[in-house]
Amino acid sequence: MLLTLLQRTGRGLFAAAERALDRCFGPRWNPLYHLGALGFFFFWVVTVSGLYLYAVFDTSIFGAYQSVEWLTHEQWYLGGVMRSLHRYGSDALVVTVITHLSREFFYDRHRGFRWFSWISGVPLLWLMFSSGINGYWLVWDRLAQYIAVDTAEWMDWLPIFGQSMAANFLNQAALSDRFFSLLVFLHIGIPLMLLLGMWIHIQRIGGARVNPPRGLMWGTAALLLGLSLAWPALSQGEANLDRLITDIGLDWFYLAIYPLMDRWSYGGVWWLLLGLTALLFVLPWLPRRRPVPAAVVHLDNCNGCARCHVDCPYNAIDMAPRSDGSPYAEEAVVDPALCAGCGICVGACPTATPFRRATALVAGVELPQLTTADLRARLGELARGLRGQARVLVFGCDHGPDLAAVAGDGVGGLRLPCIAMLPPSFIDYAISRGLADGVLLTGCRAGNCHFRLGIEWTEDRLAGRRDPHLRERVPRERLATLWVGAEGTAELERGLVSFRQRLAALPPYRPGSLPQTQEVLDDTA
Amino acid sequence: MTLLEWRPEYSVGVEAVDHEHRQLIDLINRLHQELGADATRAGVVEFLAEIHARIAAHFALEERLMRAHRYDGYAEHKADHERLLDELRDIMDRYELAGEYSDAALAQALGTWFEVHFREQDARLHRRLSGAGR
Repeated sequence: MLLTLLQRTGRGLFAAAERALDRCFGPRWNPLYHLGALGFFFFWVVTVSGLYLYAVFDTSIFGAYQSVEWLTHEQWYLGGVMRSLHRYGSDALVVTVITHLSREFFYDRHRGFRWFSWISGVPLLWLMFSSGINGYWLVWDRLAQYIAVDTAEWMDWLPIFGQSMAANFLNQAALSDRFFSLLVFLHIGIPLMLLLGMWIHIQRIGGARVNPPRGLMWGTAALLLGLSLAWPALSQGEANLDRLITDIGLDWFYLAIYPLMDRWSYGGVWWLLLGLTALLFVLPWLPRRRPVPAAVVHLDNCNGCARCHVDCPYNAIDMAPRSDGSPYAEEAVVDPALCAGCGICVGACPTATPFRRATALVAGVELPQLTTADLRARLGELARGLRGQARVLVFGCDHGPDLAAVAGDGVGGLRLPCIAMLPPSFIDYAISRGLADGVLLTGCRAGNCHFRLGIEWTEDRLAGRRDPHLRERVPRERLATLWVGAEGTAELERGLVSFRQRLAALPPYRPGSLPQTQEVLDDTA
Repeated sequence: MTLLEWRPEYSVGVEAVDHEHRQLIDLINRLHQELGADATRAGVVEFLAEIHARIAAHFALEERLMRAHRYDGYAEHKADHERLLDELRDIMDRYELAGEYSDAALAQALGTWFEVHFREQDARLHRRLSGAGR
């Protein structure tokens, strides 16, 4: 299908750009991995600079231009900089938002359980563009005049206004302070609605990041400031409705539709924008994603410890009062409508440990399509098939490198929906029981986890920063991670070769040798 | 003969936690009895793994409560939890793989740990939780 082809092409372009930026900034500061947070950051830059401008701005139509001119030239070091930050911050917001939504679309992260985040983003586009266009009027220069007249006539095309809006801009004498005050009021009201919309937009994102990492934030701020000092934003001569606008410099990020209005027709632009909006609204169902079975809580194995609730990247697990009469206060409850089926909750559950035998292995929370008992059975099967020295079990994910391509005599691959579905005790189990000589975890490219937090939580659990963590007793030289993404199969192959060389050079592993080390220490003391 | 016995002074005053403490004591006693009655090696391994999983889950819940109450002894208490889980894992490995195991060692490890942990850590937690109105 056309959309699939488009997505594949776009994904390729983004992946290339991301890898290039990874080389410059590293995954932690790569702006393409923080577009949402950058959007919030630019919003705040515009808000703060806007508050300053509002304090100095003369809200009357005949004082507006002069007050902005004074600000720009007399007070260039503060007011001028603020004006430029306001302008460039807004432009950066548009670039960030458009990149953000394109990226989510190309990576196919707009369908299924993600529909809400996508749909709630569409009205934000209208709010963002109208705030920006609205702002250009307030300067009341020749550009403002151009868009004021065009916007008024564009609005008049709609049969909903009783009074002609363009009548306000017929000539200098028709201008009224009241109408101008309304515009100023709108320039506060619309951004407030935008902020409310942004808040709604992130409701289904667990622990949404609304601040970029500090390094990226300061770097971006410095860039905006540099731009503001080097090329300050300027007005284009005072508006005069008695004169016709012929040539004008445009801010293409916000005002691209105006030349189109002149060339096309007002009706045509309306149909274009409404059509695009409608397309965005239906996109999550083009085609509808096959629903993934949601995680299921097993109360016999849930004591309400809330680790799954804390680790869920999509707020799909809530803690609710106990329903089975047991003495526990709470239990985990999965909302199937919000569940991504990533299994990160399973990886967080303390009872999801493969060592259990006395009772059937059922964790407190399970994915129906791949239970922990299945996982243990597959692991055992896979391990039995491994031959030779330096046997490696590779755990990967549905969005990472191709595990079948790297499997062989000494290498077995096991694919999970997300790498963070793997409870760390499985690694302990595989190594201590001699199922393999080493374990390699792979998955999405670092910074680009398909389920947002899979790599981060996995790294944290391995390093002991997050529970359940990989016990210290597990020999780290027998563990490797490689975050290379779907396009990284060759890289995984190379990584496996060097990992197996490393493993082959190690002395045979004897588990449970920790207390012996302690005895040795005691003897030498 | 039971190895461990629940005592009212073990209570931390939170029903769920006390309930799990009792369950754990039961589980450990059952293991102890099983060992006395010539248990199979596989049976013991099963029990140990079950105890390990239950204790891990229990600690997860207890730690959640401690964090919710901003318990000041959290770090120390958690370190004690981790120490026990590590010891238990060592016993599991030694039994399963090296065949090196003694009832006395297990009894000592678990018995002592629980006694001390209940007396020192959980009692302190109890005072704190009841002080906080729970």
